[in-house]
Amino acid sequence: MDPSSSLADKLASKTASSNSLDSSSKSSSLGSKHGGGENGGLRDTPFAYLDGEEDQDQKNDVTYVCPYRGPVFGALTITNYRLYFRSLPLRDQGPPVVVDVPLGVIARVEKIGGATSRGENSYGIEIFCKDMRNLRFAHKQQNHSRRTVFEKLQTNAFPLSYSGRLFAFAHAAANAVNGSGGWDGWAVYEPLAELRRLGVPNDMWRATKINEAYAVCDSYPAVWAVPKAASDDFLRRVAQFRSRCRLPVLSWMNPRTQATITRCSQPLVGVSGKRNADDETYLSYIMEANAQSDKLTIMDARPSANAIANKAKGGGYESEDAYKNVEINFLNIHNIHVMRESLRKVKEACFPTTDDSKWQSAIDNTLWLKHIRCVLAGAVRIVDKVETMSTSVVVHCSDGWDRTAQLTALSMLLLDPHYRTVRGFEVLIEKEWLSFGHKFQQRVGHGDNKHSDADRSPVFLQFIDSVWQVGQQFNNAFEFNEHFLITIVDHLYSCRFGTFLCNTEAERVAEDLKHKTTSLWTHINSSLDQYLNPLFPSFTHGAELVLRPIASVRAVRLWKGLYCRWNPGLCAPQHGCQRTRELLSKQDLLFKHVNELRLKSNNRSNNMQTTTRLASPMH
Amino acid sequence: MATGGGSSEMPDHRKRNTFTSYVAPLPGDMRATADTNEWCLPSDLRDVHLARPRLLQGEQIVASAPAYMYSPIDPMDSGSGSGSSSNSNSGGNSESNPPHKEATFGLLSVTNFKLAFVPLHARRPTATAPLCDLYQENLYLGRNDVTLNNIDQIYTIAEQGRAASALQAARMASNSSRRKKLEPFKQHTINGRIAALHIICKNFRLLKFAFQQQDSKLSGVSDHGKLIASALVRFAYPMRHDLSFAYAYREPYYSTLGASGVSMYATKNDWARELIRCGATEWQVVSSNSVQLLQNPLQAGKYSVPPHFVIPKSCSVDRFLDLSRAFCDSRAAFWVYSYGSSAASLVRLAELQPAAQQDTKVENIMLELVRKCDERKQLKLLQLTDRLPSTQDVLRAYQKLRRLCTPETPEKFMLQDDKYLGLLEKTNWLFYVSLCLRYSSEAAATLRSSTTCVLQESNGRDLCCVISSLTQLLLDPHFRSIDGFQSLVQKEWIALEHPFQRRLGHVYSATNGGEQVLESEQSPVFLLFLDCVWQLLQQFPDEFEFSQTYLTTLWDACFMPIFDTFQFDNQAQRVRAVKDSPLVLRPVWDWSEQFTDKDKMFFSNPLYQRQRNEAMSHSSSAGLQNRRSLAVGQPGMAASTPSRNTINPQLFATHSSVPQDRYLLPAHRIFDLAVWDQCYYRWLPVLDIRGGGQAQVDLFHRLLLGNIAKVQRCLELQNIDDLPDAYYEATGEQRPNQQQTSSQDGGAPNVDQDGEPIEYVDGVERRRKTKVATPTNSLNSVGGSLQLATLSSFFPFGNPIAGDAPHQLYDILSSSTELLLDTSSILDRSSIV
Repeated sequence: MDPSSSLADKLASKTASSNSLDSSSKSSSLGSKHGGGENGGLRDTPFAYLDGEEDQDQKNDVTYVCPYRGPVFGALTITNYRLYFRSLPLRDQGPPVVVDVPLGVIARVEKIGGATSRGENSYGIEIFCKDMRNLRFAHKQQNHSRRTVFEKLQTNAFPLSYSGRLFAFAHAAANAVNGSGGWDGWAVYEPLAELRRLGVPNDMWRATKINEAYAVCDSYPAVWAVPKAASDDFLRRVAQFRSRCRLPVLSWMNPRTQATITRCSQPLVGVSGKRNADDETYLSYIMEANAQSDKLTIMDARPSANAIANKAKGGGYESEDAYKNVEINFLNIHNIHVMRESLRKVKEACFPTTDDSKWQSAIDNTLWLKHIRCVLAGAVRIVDKVETMSTSVVVHCSDGWDRTAQLTALSMLLLDPHYRTVRGFEVLIEKEWLSFGHKFQQRVGHGDNKHSDADRSPVFLQFIDSVWQVGQQFNNAFEFNEHFLITIVDHLYSCRFGTFLCNTEAERVAEDLKHKTTSLWTHINSSLDQYLNPLFPSFTHGAELVLRPIASVRAVRLWKGLYCRWNPGLCAPQHGCQRTRELLSKQDLLFKHVNELRLKSNNRSNNMQTTTRLASPMH
Repeated sequence: MATGGGSSEMPDHRKRNTFTSYVAPLPGDMRATADTNEWCLPSDLRDVHLARPRLLQGEQIVASAPAYMYSPIDPMDSGSGSGSSSNSNSGGNSESNPPHKEATFGLLSVTNFKLAFVPLHARRPTATAPLCDLYQENLYLGRNDVTLNNIDQIYTIAEQGRAASALQAARMASNSSRRKKLEPFKQHTINGRIAALHIICKNFRLLKFAFQQQDSKLSGVSDHGKLIASALVRFAYPMRHDLSFAYAYREPYYSTLGASGVSMYATKNDWARELIRCGATEWQVVSSNSVQLLQNPLQAGKYSVPPHFVIPKSCSVDRFLDLSRAFCDSRAAFWVYSYGSSAASLVRLAELQPAAQQDTKVENIMLELVRKCDERKQLKLLQLTDRLPSTQDVLRAYQKLRRLCTPETPEKFMLQDDKYLGLLEKTNWLFYVSLCLRYSSEAAATLRSSTTCVLQESNGRDLCCVISSLTQLLLDPHFRSIDGFQSLVQKEWIALEHPFQRRLGHVYSATNGGEQVLESEQSPVFLLFLDCVWQLLQQFPDEFEFSQTYLTTLWDACFMPIFDTFQFDNQAQRVRAVKDSPLVLRPVWDWSEQFTDKDKMFFSNPLYQRQRNEAMSHSSSAGLQNRRSLAVGQPGMAASTPSRNTINPQLFATHSSVPQDRYLLPAHRIFDLAVWDQCYYRWLPVLDIRGGGQAQVDLFHRLLLGNIAKVQRCLELQNIDDLPDAYYEATGEQRPNQQQTSSQDGGAPNVDQDGEPIEYVDGVERRRKTKVATPTNSLNSVGGSLQLATLSSFFPFGNPIAGDAPHQLYDILSSSTELLLDTSSILDRSSIV
């Protein structure tokens, strides 16, 4: 075979996997990758505009200071959704340099150089992105192009700081006019249906709409599953003893053993070690709801030192003296600030260039893999409790919306194969992250310019990374592929879809996101093929349904496909699953031939039968 | 700071023995307190002498003692989560866990061949027998045996305190004050009792044995540990090679290699054939025994040339030999390979002797001779000494890497884990791998640009072998087949004499008595090469006929003294050994000597694609045979190349028959490399991903191939009754009931015999298998959808797993593998249909 063509194929597939922002069938294939491909049909506009996307500014004399190819001269377009740069034809006939970044990805825009700056490309704009890259554009001082670019970037990238609206709204509004067709991603998660799947209601658990108006707990969903023994009034009392009223509510139940995972926030124990009889009773209800075990395990995601320190702020953890038959474990996962700092170091190590001779120690020093290991180890411990010991587990951290969400979602993913399908994973995110109030708005900082906000943290990204790690260890256990996860991460920032907007379900309902924005799942599920893992069919044959990943730095890897994807030099030859797809399609083709053959022989035998039947009366 | 489970930071609440932490051990949890019961087993003691190891002919037991064997770090300590069924029974009361169930009691023996451990409790109902045959079984070694050759370091752990149990001592092994290394040659006066032994093997295995303490009134033998330790230190470090078991093993050898396509490079013809294949017309083969100078006993000592070598045609043999005396080990410009239409050559060259280094005239003459052989008179000299690690560097890297892979306690494991990547970087191992890949890519690029490349290294017998063979792997798809690869190793490593005996430490020659000399001689250069090949396999998973299991097995095979391939420094040594002693030469490539067909199946790579367009080329027809060589044996195919023994160069085209569009461009940065987990981690059960990893994916591909082959055959025979289960799953149909199937089975072979000549060639063995596979597969479908076995991620290494999956697995393998070996042709045919 022609090696150059196969190389091109490989590169093309690499492009597909490293950039998901332009994967919609409507938009062009031009990646925000250097040297994206050609798209024949779209000569006039450099890229395909999304519904509701409008030009804001265009400059034809901008230099993109590419960290890999050096400065390239070209045209910069800013719309209300994206920043798009395309170099003028290069002397070396190479593919044009293209930068295509949704404005939502931008964390910070800075001017560099002043009117007096000398030197090539010293005057311009530097853009810091949430997706592990920085971009630098140089302008010419004399033609004052920088000011409008800077202003347009500010107002369109940070609409919330400039009393604007996020692009998702404009997108959906225009989309509705054009008619989106297909089905609605907002309908993926139906709380009661999901509870039914788990076998709730049953003898021990019931669903309650006590929080329908978000009055009991404003960061919890409208529908909860709680032990049957607890009345609504009782629940309200228990909520008072939990930080932000986030009392223990069911996340998952093993339909076979009734062992459960419940999630909550820390109890308001305080320095004095307050006790609350209702809370203690409530936990005993949870324990009693599982007949298999006379114990209840509390997994406190924090390091024990942090848990103790929280007492000073009125929080704390359950004492084993106060709570009967309860054992508490600390999972040693650090807080959002530690994680943010760790990821910042990962960015330093990966972008723009890596030092190969110090690569391993650089990654070691970020501690990112150690943090991932802790999350994985915590999830595996929960899995062992629930699956092996059939003991119910209560998971909490401080507020129960960061580390808790990581742990419950990840352990559910390990326990329940349903969550490893595309739909199931969407449900998992909707349920454990969105409905239970992970503060996406705060943690990501959609559309606001407070780039150094201490509330920002890559907690959700860390979860996606952990999922990827499990996928690395169990290549065939997931219906979706790496590209699916990268797409989710990309649209976590892009603000094109409503899915990750707002902090809580209550806010989302108030904003009417279901009607005013499009769901990411609508987008993904309308072109499923590219997100599917060809190895998955082999898992459905697998006997082992519960996954137990190895939580060791020896087995955990840096996700180069995500963190290092902007460096074209680091695109290692990716084998992907090309061969698997080939074999599968070959098998299917053969099956088709067999069908034909069977059809033919059936016809023949039918014919023979009819002829014999016709012949028989002659006798 | 996060240290895994971190139960150490537990606050003031009641400390209970809760679920053991994951990866992180509980510092206080030595679980050694309940040991006492396990030790009072007088009946075991009597039984233990029944558990004698199986001995080979000529093998003798040197010492035997009852002992406990441990896995280095048990998953129970660290939460891979398996083996916890007993936990669930005990309802979370883990204090009642059976104590140290990871320990196995049995008889430990030292023979003149191996260190063997025969477990006494192996027949527990849980450890089901069929499990064993799922894992690689060496016909010479049990699962718990290692050859003495494999043993690198022996540590003794002295007994602590009077009352403490030996098991406790074994656990306390990290306490270094009692851990002592036994050095070869030293007269060891072992004071006090030895409670435990740690044995670190060259193939990254760590064996831990604890010895039972006995009151002398119970038994005469006082110190089992000392008995074993002193036997080991005497026999594991032979001072002469003829003390090796190779010389004691007198079993005659009947080669089954004859039909295979492995070129041994042991004859002039082998080299001549390679010259022709590569289209190298400017070079000539020289055989030492036809050179008068080398036959002259007075002169021959001045040269250390291999029996056959290839030199420029433009140079007379005498002149060449004259020039070669200026080079280390007389290694002047040996041709190894040519590439491309202009036949740019790959040449190995040693450096000038230290005494001759001021005068580079000889070197220039030699390079000039080589340059003249190049069509375009181009030459590039790649000096490896400056660019690549020395053999000592490689050894140090290997030792550091091995330390990372053989932590003796969970605590050590966690300590390493906490700064693992930093420690890994400090080993430099991947850095050296990266360098090797980089310079072999450079050499390959040089050849591709039609320029001759000369690799120069001090004696041209170490890193030269690595770079030279990697370069050829990158360029030539023939070497990526199993037989091609074996031929490559024969050519670059055996025929051109990599000093395996010294590098692998087969002999501890204490001529200078110093360890320093000894240390510097050892160096796992070959492992470095295998690691590079593994990296290539990761980057190009469909380019190699062999699997990583094959590579791992090859490393293990280095320590099998029974096979001569990796036992000698040079040909002369080998010849002398055969002449002076009744040594039987057995090439390691005759894998049937070591493994059954089942294990040989795992040597093949289910993703391998032999591309079609080379169907006409020589390498492909050789490849066709190669494929068969792994199969059960196909005498029909063997006789098909009459050109094997007689070569008439006139009959061959003068240009290379190596395809030039199949070269590989590997990534070589450390960034792109990974740790070869199967080879290095396989003895650490804690890292075993049950049901995950590459093994599971491979199995799926084998199943797919099996299905394709089966349907293919059905279509060819127009017989649609024996379809794979996947078909019925895909169509959502019920499989026609079993009786029907089996009745038609009876009829099928007749048709087979007409349609498939392959069935004949194989004879009984093959046909039986095919027939057996069918009904068992339909059994699966009766029980619902087909279930794939859950494998260890280190499969076929690693620890056995529970369940009855093995049988199904074996069925998948036996039904798919015979066809798997025909990968390409099946797919070709299917594309035609």
